[in-house]
Amino acid sequence: MEQRATRADILAAIQEIPLLSPSASRLLQIASKEDYDINEIIEVVKCDSALTARLLKTVNSVAYGLVHQVTSIDRAVSYLGERLVAGIALEDSAKALFNKKLEGYEGPVGELWEHDLRTAIAAREIARHCQTELSKDLAFTAGILHAIGKAVLSDFLHGSASELLADIDSHDVKDYLEGERNILGMDHTEAGFELAKAWELPESLQMAIHHHHTPQEAPEEYRPLVYAVHLGCIIAMMSGSHSSDALQYHLDKHYTDYFNITNEHIAMALLEVNESVGVIQSALSEGRELSE
Amino acid sequence: MGNIILGVGELGATNSPADCVKTFALGSCVAVILMCPKTHTIGMVHVALPESKINPDKVKTRPGYFADTGIPALLKKMSTFGCDPGGRGFIVKLAGGARIMDPNNTFNIGKRNALAVKKTLWKFSLGAVAEDLGETYSRTVTVSVATGETLITSPGRKDWKI
Repeated sequence: MEQRATRADILAAIQEIPLLSPSASRLLQIASKEDYDINEIIEVVKCDSALTARLLKTVNSVAYGLVHQVTSIDRAVSYLGERLVAGIALEDSAKALFNKKLEGYEGPVGELWEHDLRTAIAAREIARHCQTELSKDLAFTAGILHAIGKAVLSDFLHGSASELLADIDSHDVKDYLEGERNILGMDHTEAGFELAKAWELPESLQMAIHHHHTPQEAPEEYRPLVYAVHLGCIIAMMSGSHSSDALQYHLDKHYTDYFNITNEHIAMALLEVNESVGVIQSALSEGRELSE
Repeated sequence: MGNIILGVGELGATNSPADCVKTFALGSCVAVILMCPKTHTIGMVHVALPESKINPDKVKTRPGYFADTGIPALLKKMSTFGCDPGGRGFIVKLAGGARIMDPNNTFNIGKRNALAVKKTLWKFSLGAVAEDLGETYSRTVTVSVATGETLITSPGRKDWKI
């Protein structure tokens, strides 16, 4: 039988993953602050010519269908929104991870990025219904990053999906996370957390990555954000997913302590996900092709 | 052989024996498959939500999005292939309507989709001869026009037919 990887192997692999670009890192730091000025975002973008070009190409893509061409970075940032700017910088900086084929989860190329984008859109919608102040931009950014650990674990999970699903179906394991831990001694939320620490991401994003399937375990101060991502991830899976772990996680019912959400809100979030994901995907891919 | 690929809220029909009608990664959405034996036409609609009242504007651009408008729109589409506009004699199959793991089934959109689809079908005196609904997995559905064979695939699971 093939020798399975160990925790140590996974941790070593995480250390080999390239750091984020300075622009992406800085944009995530800014976007995770409670109050920030859009000019801070614009300044970072202006110092990165490749990112500037990509943003202008994206905002002028056919998918957005603007009548007048946007030529200034100020207007591009303001049109796209800070959240999408950080997302584009992140995707550019770590595209090898976001766009890799998720072989360990039997998912095609682009599956991780699409799921992350769907989660981000849904988390942003859910954030509107938070009982306390919760930044919609931060919920979006955390959604983009939440499942990054799957890009790490995928390489170590080859050929495991059928066995893992059979164990869940027979109730030998309670969900995909426990299955990952049984096989590798680590699940994708912990792998993502280790990568987030290596990337020195803000603590709020680290917590969203680490606890998006177990929001009750997040420190109290981060729970509204983590629950928004938890629900966003579930809505994303309900809206359609091509990987073996789709829908193989539990809903934490304590979300009601932080959000006033009805089935109608969930339906509206599903609608928004399906509406927006295609437009954003098309604009990003046009921007990517034109920049290359 | 061609594939008619249907996205969320899309509907389509074909009577070309070389075609397959396909929709990817159904989560809580439901694929309604209508087969007209008389004209050998296959139609499918990828329903995302139960009722159109949540967003009536959407009905104008994509009636297939909702169970209550998607099925009548599919019947209308199939009537252009010479099928009975009321679906008389049709064979119906359903797939999808999955849910997240939750014993309380709190976010029961999948179940509500399935019920709304069945309710709309009943209005036309139609009922499914085969269905694969609920559970906690994603489904990709492919229907062959030549054979009517309805294949369901899901990552990490063996394929099955309904």
